[in-house]
Amino acid sequence: MNRNDDVGSSDTDDHGQSEVASQDKVSRPEHNITRRKSAAIDDEAAVRSREELVAAREDAVGLREQAAEMRDNAATVSQDTADLHENTIQTREQAVTTREQKIRVPDEIQTVLNERMKLLQQTNANLVIATIEAHKMAEQVKMAKDQLAHLAHHDALTGLPNRILLQDRLSLAIELARRKGWQLALMFMDLDRFKNINDSLGHIVGDHLLQSVALRLSGCMRQSDTISRQGGDEFVMLLPFIKNAEEATLCAQKMLAALEPPHRIDGHDLHISVSIGISIFPKDGQDAETLMKNADTAMYHAKDNGRNHYKFFEPDMNALAVQRHSIEASLRRALEHREFVLHYQPKINLQSGAIVGLEALIRWQHPERGMLLPAEFVSIAEDCGLILPIGRRVLHEACLQAQAWLQAGLPLTSVAVNASALEFRSRDFIESIRAILEDTGLEPRYLELELTESVLMQDAEFTHSMLHELSDLGIKLAIDDFGTGYSSLSYLRQFPIDTLKIDRSFVDRMISSPDDATIVRAVISMGKNLNLRVIAEGVETQEQYAFLLAQDCDEGQGYYFGRPMAAEALAPLLQTGVSLSLPV
Amino acid sequence: METNAFHRHKLINSLMAQEAEKVVENAINLWDQLAIQVIAIVGEGGFNALYLRSVFLTQATFPWLAADSPMPQTDHRFTASKLNLEEQKPDQAREANCLLLITFTDILASLIGEELTSSILRSAWCNNASDSAGSELNND
Repeated sequence: MNRNDDVGSSDTDDHGQSEVASQDKVSRPEHNITRRKSAAIDDEAAVRSREELVAAREDAVGLREQAAEMRDNAATVSQDTADLHENTIQTREQAVTTREQKIRVPDEIQTVLNERMKLLQQTNANLVIATIEAHKMAEQVKMAKDQLAHLAHHDALTGLPNRILLQDRLSLAIELARRKGWQLALMFMDLDRFKNINDSLGHIVGDHLLQSVALRLSGCMRQSDTISRQGGDEFVMLLPFIKNAEEATLCAQKMLAALEPPHRIDGHDLHISVSIGISIFPKDGQDAETLMKNADTAMYHAKDNGRNHYKFFEPDMNALAVQRHSIEASLRRALEHREFVLHYQPKINLQSGAIVGLEALIRWQHPERGMLLPAEFVSIAEDCGLILPIGRRVLHEACLQAQAWLQAGLPLTSVAVNASALEFRSRDFIESIRAILEDTGLEPRYLELELTESVLMQDAEFTHSMLHELSDLGIKLAIDDFGTGYSSLSYLRQFPIDTLKIDRSFVDRMISSPDDATIVRAVISMGKNLNLRVIAEGVETQEQYAFLLAQDCDEGQGYYFGRPMAAEALAPLLQTGVSLSLPV
Repeated sequence: METNAFHRHKLINSLMAQEAEKVVENAINLWDQLAIQVIAIVGEGGFNALYLRSVFLTQATFPWLAADSPMPQTDHRFTASKLNLEEQKPDQAREANCLLLITFTDILASLIGEELTSSILRSAWCNNASDSAGSELNND
């Protein structure tokens, strides 16, 4: 471009030089001046022209530069446009992507929501289940607490209030009665001969019987009364508001009547009675302890009066109660100190007068009171459970003595020992007899056991099995006091009995009472027909002996033939073999 | 002042009094609707636990109530309960189901509160409730 500018400039200079040559030829001086002036003007014009040319050239250059810039700008714009286009494409792609993402989002949200919902459901389910389980556990804990509270104040076997609750209610009742001027009654009850049933038929039957008794006694009380089980076979009833003692009498009679029908327990028809002692506030005691003690004392008196009775407390009973407690303590001591001795009474063949056997009878050689008969201590021994060790001591002693007599060459047929219901029903009765026989060396055929009707008829199945076991051992069996209890003739036939002992009460009256005489004849006849030996007990007179002999009674026993006597005294009699009293 | 629980119990009694000749059908219908709502929140396991607990507590008054777990199938969830109710006289069935529903909702309310329980019951039974019965829930 510069080169072209230079070319253009050269053309302009050539044209100026030709104009100057032409003016010289027209007029020299003036012409010269003119020409000079003109030349100057021309020069000036040429300068200006040149300047203009330069300026034009500069402008051209500027224009070119501008054009170049514009071209650059255009290129830049093109580049920008391309960039913009690219951005637009990217933006569109992003928009597409976003749209696609937007389309996918609801599905994902739904999936997430579903998963969350499931988790929430499961969590809630677990919380609900856990809470309900916690409720159940709390309920169980509460029930257990309630049961514990109930057990603390109630008897577990019968559900009746226990002695703690009774004590509480009695104390409250006394306070109220004292404030209001009322009377109250406390009734102490003890089942008669419950131990026999418990020991013979087992604790389960005994427990069921206690439950049955508790139910019946509960039926005799008023809403405001409390009946509690003190333990064992003892119950106490509190009548907190009574107008007079007659109300307590009615209640006691009601309870005795309620227990009359037999209790059907595990296939057994069990008869049980109750002895009731009654104390009245404020007459018989000002506090719970005294009232309870006095009712207990009165209860023992009811027992001593034949059981199945009620007795109101009387002040002089205390002396007897003290005596009873003293006997209990003495019995234990007597057992330890071997104060029990045996006396023997002969059994006589009425035809020949020969001694055919002996009955061993217990006596208590009391250190202060002298020789005591069984009636004075056996019932107490039964009540306090000492009858078992005492009975075993008697059996052992009798067997030992019999064996001594036999070894001494004395003519002994048998020695009879009484067995109480408690002993007969005790679990190890047979075992203890076996052990005693083994220990003393006495052959079983020399031993006879005397059992009362009531013992034998109480549970026929058990009795049948026991009697056969004893009979199989070789031991003889006799029914004692026959005619005073209830005998089933059918059982009599089935049981392996050897001997019937006619009760002394019939023998005692048979001379004066035709009815008793008839009974004695009937028993002798029945015994003979059943091939049983028949012995009359309590023969004390010649008339009685003659009557029995006339009725063809086999044997007799009683003061007429000989009183019970110590072993040493009996030995000479055994030696002779006949009764000293018998008029032969 | 009447409590929310009182309104709820009143509602249940009034719902069970409807369609006296279709006691069992009505009862099962109420259970079906309630189950849908409750299961949506606490699941099958939670519902079954609540239901069985309610049956256990109601058995103290109605010992013949069967303690079968509701079945998971929506259509036959209360088949065993239905058979059980059908064996009873209508009055007995209604009384038992009233007590069962009351017990169930009482437990539910003790777990999640009266407000939520009322909301669930509204969702479950709003179509069944007569105007007066439905208003019981709106008292909450």
